[in-house]
Amino acid sequence: MSRRVETRAPTRVGKANGHRPDGAPADAAPKQRIGARAFVRRERSAQRRQAARRAKLASSRSGTFASLLEFHVGGSLVRAVRRIPTAALVCVLVAFLNAACWSIVSPPFEVPDEPSHFAYVKQLAETGSLPRSASGSYSYEELAALQALRYYKVREQPDNRTIASRHEQAALEHVLRTAPGVSEKGSRAAGVAASEPPLYYALETIPYALGKGGTLLTRLQLMRLTSALLAGLTALFAFLFLREALPREPWAWTVGGLAVALTPLLGFMSGAVNPDSLLFAVASAVFYCLARAFRRGLSTGGATALGALLAIGFLTKLNFIGLVPGIVLGLVVLCARAARVSGRSAYRLLALALAIGFSPVALYVLVNVLSNHAALGAASAVTVDARRSILGEIDYIWQLYLPRIPGTASYFPGIFPAQKLWFDGYVGLYGWLDTTFPGWVYSVALIPAGAIAALCARALYQARAQLRRRAVELGVYAAVSVGLLVLVGAASYDRFPVADAEFAQTRYLLPLIALFGAVLALAARGAGRRWGPVVGTLLVVLFLGHDVFSQLLVAGRFYG
Amino acid sequence: MSRVRIALAAGLALLAIALGLTLARSPAVVARKSDTPVTEDRLAVTATSARYCQSEEQLPAGASAIRLSLAADTGPRVDVSVSSGGRTLTSGTQGAGWTGRVVTVPVRPLARTVGAVTVCASVRPRFEQVLVFGVPAAPALAARDGRQTLPGRMTIEYLRRGSRSWASLAPSIARRLGLGRTAAGTWNALLAVELLVAIGVLASMLVLKELG
Repeated sequence: MSRRVETRAPTRVGKANGHRPDGAPADAAPKQRIGARAFVRRERSAQRRQAARRAKLASSRSGTFASLLEFHVGGSLVRAVRRIPTAALVCVLVAFLNAACWSIVSPPFEVPDEPSHFAYVKQLAETGSLPRSASGSYSYEELAALQALRYYKVREQPDNRTIASRHEQAALEHVLRTAPGVSEKGSRAAGVAASEPPLYYALETIPYALGKGGTLLTRLQLMRLTSALLAGLTALFAFLFLREALPREPWAWTVGGLAVALTPLLGFMSGAVNPDSLLFAVASAVFYCLARAFRRGLSTGGATALGALLAIGFLTKLNFIGLVPGIVLGLVVLCARAARVSGRSAYRLLALALAIGFSPVALYVLVNVLSNHAALGAASAVTVDARRSILGEIDYIWQLYLPRIPGTASYFPGIFPAQKLWFDGYVGLYGWLDTTFPGWVYSVALIPAGAIAALCARALYQARAQLRRRAVELGVYAAVSVGLLVLVGAASYDRFPVADAEFAQTRYLLPLIALFGAVLALAARGAGRRWGPVVGTLLVVLFLGHDVFSQLLVAGRFYG
Repeated sequence: MSRVRIALAAGLALLAIALGLTLARSPAVVARKSDTPVTEDRLAVTATSARYCQSEEQLPAGASAIRLSLAADTGPRVDVSVSSGGRTLTSGTQGAGWTGRVVTVPVRPLARTVGAVTVCASVRPRFEQVLVFGVPAAPALAARDGRQTLPGRMTIEYLRRGSRSWASLAPSIARRLGLGRTAAGTWNALLAVELLVAIGVLASMLVLKELG
């Protein structure tokens, strides 16, 4: 068990702790008489100074990756990394190795939208410009490789397997050698990826360039491994989030961190070329920074880090927009708290975070306006269908996650989406959503899921007094989550009824994986002091088993 | 021995047993396929109740599931029946909520192969359209939707438990996993296994250190 000493949250300033702001006992007489207004001014000024000192002290004491995020370390990056707990580093390694393993087990391009994301990177790496169109065909090199890999026959056809003979392998190698010879640069079209922001793809141009001497499959594998590194970051921030959010039981951080690292869906998505892998890491970092700020107070570094994460999120994937209202709410609440101590100057932190966070959006609008395009680009073309009722949309989104309210129309007859779409999608839905376990597996999986929910509920009940104290913080996490759920629901409703619940894919909820880790850590704690570590151990084994069987499932489906 | 140590050992032992049992079982294989299309055509689209029937099918002995080329994002309930001479031989249901380009419906297996059967699939979509895929065929052989003849035959696969276990298939799976790679070879499969073992060892060591 970890013996790490918990860093105590800074105590409040003022009369509550029986000391004057300058540290002297509250009952000590002032050395000289002063007017009431002057006294209040001096007291406030002293409070602000002390708050600043405290924030600095907390920052230097807390160490770990937070220092790295908050840019407090100057040149001591190595020192900051060294302060990361060993358990967190092992979680990082497990998450990376797991995603790397998935990158081997999943056949090339047999992960949702991977051909489109690869095309985006190819365009960016070879031409330096963004893809212009979603429709149209990929580059000749990519199309030839897809053909030789039997991609079009294997995708969504569970009975069809990948290439199986030496003859097919030889044909593939021939295509991979000769196709790049065609005088063609980039990929004009990038399918569904075309509308996405460029940050993840820009990052992937590095492995793409490193693999330039190899074949297309060499570049793809290097890009997949880069995504796997991001899975490690996701696990790291999830662990650090647990450390801040549940500081009392260090062993529970390991349970949550390992469970996140072993989550098959994280490995599956991060073992492929997909901006989701960066989005998961960014979202987990956001939860960590929010938890840290709620525990230690918002500092300039914390506001800068949250602003930077907002900016990175905007540049990573459009789905990040769903998280933004909750993050902004969190910043407002944190600044309001800080203002109680340091006055209005606390709101400068809010302005700083928002200025940094929204700068990519402002820049995007500016560039569009200057180049005579619609201010919000493709988003400007989005129109609200007047024939659709807002109430209908709310009802649809509600039913996508929660039981239908009696008296309302059923949008999902015969199923409970929370179980059939989201839970079953988490348990096992791989490849191009064409790879599933036998039906009984999903029913059996409800048993451990129910036990986890019950133990988590028990832990929350036991900590109800603490929950009341931290209600605002929990409300912010809930707002971040609800924002994402609403975004996914609204996008699905937009396509309804042509497609029903098109975006009801569990991977879209993985930005909340840090909270999922907290649920598992709480479940272990819910078993009590004596049995908690035992239940935590069984949870880790359960997730390991789920991961192993998921990879066997995929191997059996594509190569069996 | 601490409780955590015992729990870890018991958990890993259970995992090993489950793995052994799975490897000893046989995967489902396609016993028969109605057609082997190079590419499939869209034969029908429905957003209302429909019943598609296709005659001149052969139901193989031991078929425990029938796979149909129906597509939807969130598919409705699908009822399948197999009949011969007006008598239902077997039937099955796949509940609503399936997704993708095919739907697999479990059915009761028969002891012997039966020829010239009619396979009927009923769907009752409420909102989303269901697409039916197949291959072009002459009207006399084509599938029917009530009185209407579709432009071809639906693609139907009959699945049954294979004769070889997963364990006996492992070498061929490993060989196949190594194809279509940047550096082809069975070593890809070995590397994947080694990575999984490393993950298990790392996770176990961390659990013992932090929880034990």
